[in-house]
Amino acid sequence: MAQAVLYHGEPNGASLTVLAALAESGLDIPCQPIDLLAGARHRLPGIAEPLAIDLGIEGEGPVLVIGGEAMTESVFLAQYLDELAGGCGLQPDDPYAHWEMLMWCRQITERLSPAAALVGNLAHSQQAIAAIAADDFGALTASVVSDDLRARWQALHDGAIDAAQVADSEAKVDQAAQRCEDKLTDGRAFLMGDFSIADLVTYSWLAGMALIRPEAFAARPLTTAWLARVAARPCIVSALALANTAEPLCSWAPGPEINRWG
Amino acid sequence: MTEVTLYHWEPNANSGKPMLALMEKGVPFASHYIDMLQFDQHKPEYLAINPQGTIPAMTHGIRVLTESTAIMEYVNAAFPGPDLMPVDAQDRWRVRWWMKFMDQWLGPSFSMIGWSVFVGPRVRERDPEELAAAIERIPLPERRAAWKKAISGDFSASEMAESRRRVALGIAKLEEELGKRDYVGSDSYSLADINIFNSTYSLPLSQPDLASKDKTPNIMRWLKRVYEREAVGKTWAMGKTDMAARYSLVMEGIV
Repeated sequence: MAQAVLYHGEPNGASLTVLAALAESGLDIPCQPIDLLAGARHRLPGIAEPLAIDLGIEGEGPVLVIGGEAMTESVFLAQYLDELAGGCGLQPDDPYAHWEMLMWCRQITERLSPAAALVGNLAHSQQAIAAIAADDFGALTASVVSDDLRARWQALHDGAIDAAQVADSEAKVDQAAQRCEDKLTDGRAFLMGDFSIADLVTYSWLAGMALIRPEAFAARPLTTAWLARVAARPCIVSALALANTAEPLCSWAPGPEINRWG
Repeated sequence: MTEVTLYHWEPNANSGKPMLALMEKGVPFASHYIDMLQFDQHKPEYLAINPQGTIPAMTHGIRVLTESTAIMEYVNAAFPGPDLMPVDAQDRWRVRWWMKFMDQWLGPSFSMIGWSVFVGPRVRERDPEELAAAIERIPLPERRAAWKKAISGDFSASEMAESRRRVALGIAKLEEELGKRDYVGSDSYSLADINIFNSTYSLPLSQPDLASKDKTPNIMRWLKRVYEREAVGKTWAMGKTDMAARYSLVMEGIV
């Protein structure tokens, strides 16, 4: 395989999904922590094909660089690692079960991820972003190629967040917890039955919400128990062990765009 | 009895994706045309198939599948026929990346422009009370809001400008991509080509200032290659509106 390195933030959100998938795959790909809130993701060395950073959907997620090509989007990186390892069990073989997993992951990345990122950033990152010195913030945003991602940085920096959007995001976090609760009602241990990328991606965005919005989980015992089961999985344990902060689930950086149309 | 039934509108954007994927795989299917401009997708008989009221939907035996890109992935995995995903894992990642880029970033901008100039004006000709009732029947709140905007032509100048920015940038990036590889994301024809062709097949007509032989030679070469596929011809022959007629107009212009 061409030269590979995984650049990642603290193990939370998209970075947690990919670090855990890498651990599950058993592949030997070097990991390089970067400071997402310092804009390090936009100044990575040795990238010949930057498109997936420049126009990625996911916001400040991890970047896997293989042979000079930047690869982003945590669900697809998890699929890539699973497939590169010859199938490490993170994706169902049955086409219908696979379709169900993709549908679930898309619900999470389209609805929960942007909402959780907004709620998480407001709780834990906005002050730090607002405190970046003007010159440094100007240099940071100048390095962000995507106009819409830059706008999300700017909105957090300026505190220009619409209250209706916050309420909508909190509702989406609650809805995601309820979707998990509904899915787990039949007694299954994991969201798709067997442990899969659906658990990784959902845990990665929801676990931090349990710290910020405990009320979303108070009356959802199946989801709470599922969070604990996923947290105990060796791949999650080893991903969280890469943390450089006391509570990585409180680490947030500007996330995906909230659907602008339809 | 045919095992697969596809509920679809025109071979265009989302509906065209599973139509073309099934055609490429050689999977026989019963076609159930849903007239989006008559709001067929929000009528009880269709909501019984897909309660969310989105098109397309596909039934395979007792299974019901929704979401066009995910349906395509299912079709490719569940049926024999040519593999529409590349073998190499990095190519597969790239195919998925481009499909998400189209589905979530570029596609909605194409859609906003298309609805403001095509769907909205067509639907607005109808009885306002009938329209209001039709909107109330839409199950998903996001789709209800989208239809309201489209019908009333209520897109702000900044929203339209942002959509135009994205379309111009997306076309430029697609042109770069097709300068690197024969097809979108890899050197073989894949689901990414089916996905993106469905939203770009009429670019030379709809966005001649952005896409043309002079401005985007790589896109035009790729469009020609995809247009010439037998499955594409068969799929676009299933269209019922003048949208499908754009196919032959573009074909004449680029061959």
